[in-house]
Amino acid sequence: MGKGAGKEAWEYAIINVQRLKGAKAQRKKNMKIKKILIANRGEIAIRIMKTARLMKISTVVIKTKLEPSAMYLSFADEVYDNTEDTSEIPVFLDIEKLISIAIETKSNAVHPGYGFLSENPYFAQKCLENKIIFIGPSPDALYKMGNKTIARRLALKNGIPMATGSEGNISNEEEASKIADKIGYPVIIKAASGGGGRGMRIVRKAEEMEKMFIIASKEAEKAFNDPSVFIEKYIENPKHIEFQILGDIKGNVIHLGERECSIQRKHQKLLEEAPSCALDSSLRKKMGKMAVQIAKAVNYYSAGTVEFLLDSDRNFYFMEMNTRIQVEHPVTEMVTGIDLIEQQIRIANGEALKFKQEDIKFKGWAIECRINAENVQSGFAPDPGKIEKLNMPSNHYIRIDTGVQAGSTIVASFDSMIAKLIVSGKDRKEAIKNCKMALDKVWIKGTKTTLPFFRMLVRNQKFQDGTFTTSFIEKDLAKYYFNSEYEEMLAAWLATKLFVEENLEEGSIAVDFTNGKEMSPWLLNKRINQF
Amino acid sequence: MNDKLRIKKLYALSSENKKFSFSLPLKDKIRIGRRDYAVQLRDDEKLGTYILWKNRKYPVEIVRSRQNKYEILFNDISYTFTVETPFSLQRMKVLSSGKGKKEQESLRAPMPGKIIDVLVREGSTVTRGEPVVILEAMKMQNEIQSPVNGIVKSVIAKSNTNVMKDDVLVEIKVE
Repeated sequence: MGKGAGKEAWEYAIINVQRLKGAKAQRKKNMKIKKILIANRGEIAIRIMKTARLMKISTVVIKTKLEPSAMYLSFADEVYDNTEDTSEIPVFLDIEKLISIAIETKSNAVHPGYGFLSENPYFAQKCLENKIIFIGPSPDALYKMGNKTIARRLALKNGIPMATGSEGNISNEEEASKIADKIGYPVIIKAASGGGGRGMRIVRKAEEMEKMFIIASKEAEKAFNDPSVFIEKYIENPKHIEFQILGDIKGNVIHLGERECSIQRKHQKLLEEAPSCALDSSLRKKMGKMAVQIAKAVNYYSAGTVEFLLDSDRNFYFMEMNTRIQVEHPVTEMVTGIDLIEQQIRIANGEALKFKQEDIKFKGWAIECRINAENVQSGFAPDPGKIEKLNMPSNHYIRIDTGVQAGSTIVASFDSMIAKLIVSGKDRKEAIKNCKMALDKVWIKGTKTTLPFFRMLVRNQKFQDGTFTTSFIEKDLAKYYFNSEYEEMLAAWLATKLFVEENLEEGSIAVDFTNGKEMSPWLLNKRINQF
Repeated sequence: MNDKLRIKKLYALSSENKKFSFSLPLKDKIRIGRRDYAVQLRDDEKLGTYILWKNRKYPVEIVRSRQNKYEILFNDISYTFTVETPFSLQRMKVLSSGKGKKEQESLRAPMPGKIIDVLVREGSTVTRGEPVVILEAMKMQNEIQSPVNGIVKSVIAKSNTNVMKDDVLVEIKVE
């Protein structure tokens, strides 16, 4: 581990994790989990290892050909070298390979992180068969919640409010049209095995149904190997509210409050907060109770998230349950003081929850900005590349979860995340103010990032008022970035300065100039890097 | 040559046709209202190149530059300028007044990735903003939209193939 941003980031995060309740507790004698194989990469691998280290559990990570010098590798007690693997699929998706690595490294537990195999029931089952503890829910719960049609049926049976829709999967466009006519347009077609916004199509008119049904079904087959789709009433302009839940193997289930995730683009979340200003304590209680109820219906244990849509009349509808740790888990940790990774590990170890619902107290407000390598000026297109410089602000109200440091490369094969900037405050106003200050101090060079978007967002009136919905980015924004009054002029000055320097070289324009008769080393450097 | 020596001003034209003018010799000061503010280009190990303006540091990077065209990343936002002399600006005005609009548009891949679907065929009519190609990059499916109204002249992109950034996907005859 060298000097620089990485080490600093690690240091803040240790402080932050230590602030969380219970995390400083050392490994107890009855801790069955001795060594965890992290079946993941990037910031989440590091996040898991931080808690594991505090709990005195060893960790193993996998070195891949795509990222042989990634930052997460330096946080582990042991690195399994998989750079020689010639398999087409990434190791993080290769069940057989992961099991064999766990066995070979004598890891008696696996943490899947998020994405990849985190919600795959077959992987959880394979772990079980090989006597490896899967740090997550049971294969049965993964299967039931992973299949949206089964999850819908379960929710229906348990009296969980839901948008009206088809009973089960729909086999063809005629059936789709019939159901849509019954529930009324607009409707949304969703992939039964879907997630992350793929395989979803909104249909506003009957004429569009045939085309959209075919597209959705085709997309579902490509993305999830399962063409089955179902239909739901489409809720216009809702808020996306999700509840964090924790359950143990003894059947205790509690919730840790909500997260507001309405700031999203094409179903990709960009900013999350906890709590949500759309909920008061009575609505929180009501929705929390429903979240616990649906989790209990599948005997859920481990950490999980129940997603709801909340309409402007405060009606809420069950959407789906995510059966993994989520990207946005830190905001819940910041307002509850509970280390969710520690809870996952303890639950997987067979321990009962130490808290009852009434023990959960919320304090303050937390906001997470997903700083991604994306170009906000061109439709949030990924902008992979090498991170040349990375400097993160440090303060008691700031937590940075990152898997990169200066010199790291954001590779096109994985997600585009650079860092999660998590900022807290005593209330929402203060959290936004702190977030604004922190955003101005984040310094990243080498790729385009979503920073200008967040700088705009924290200044936006509707965001400050909290009245935004999931259509905010598509409908309410004229401009996706913020620049202060003189920034464009300063950029113009720089372009002019470059022009002057370059053209002086040829002597075509006579201007004063102080740098001697050479191209500035900075400019030369840039030119060399270009080729 | 003598003409060029007498150049007193340079203009940076933004892609939205905003004009910023700077007197030569170029000063490290910019006048706002009645006051001059120092603007400094600096470089250090930790931050790289930055501009110091009113006690604040702004990261700067050149994204690309070709002849008199510069794409600059200033405080994480990209700006494109062409720098013109009074002479070249005049010439540009004359030229553009006589020229019509672009006749053909080459739709290029904005990022490296895999073509998931091509939604048009040769001869298809497209309208501005209509999705033409679905490109998957970094686990995200991106709709590549037509920048113009027109007729598809040729389709180069094929489903299930990988493309590099700036590869031509579709050529559209502008209507």
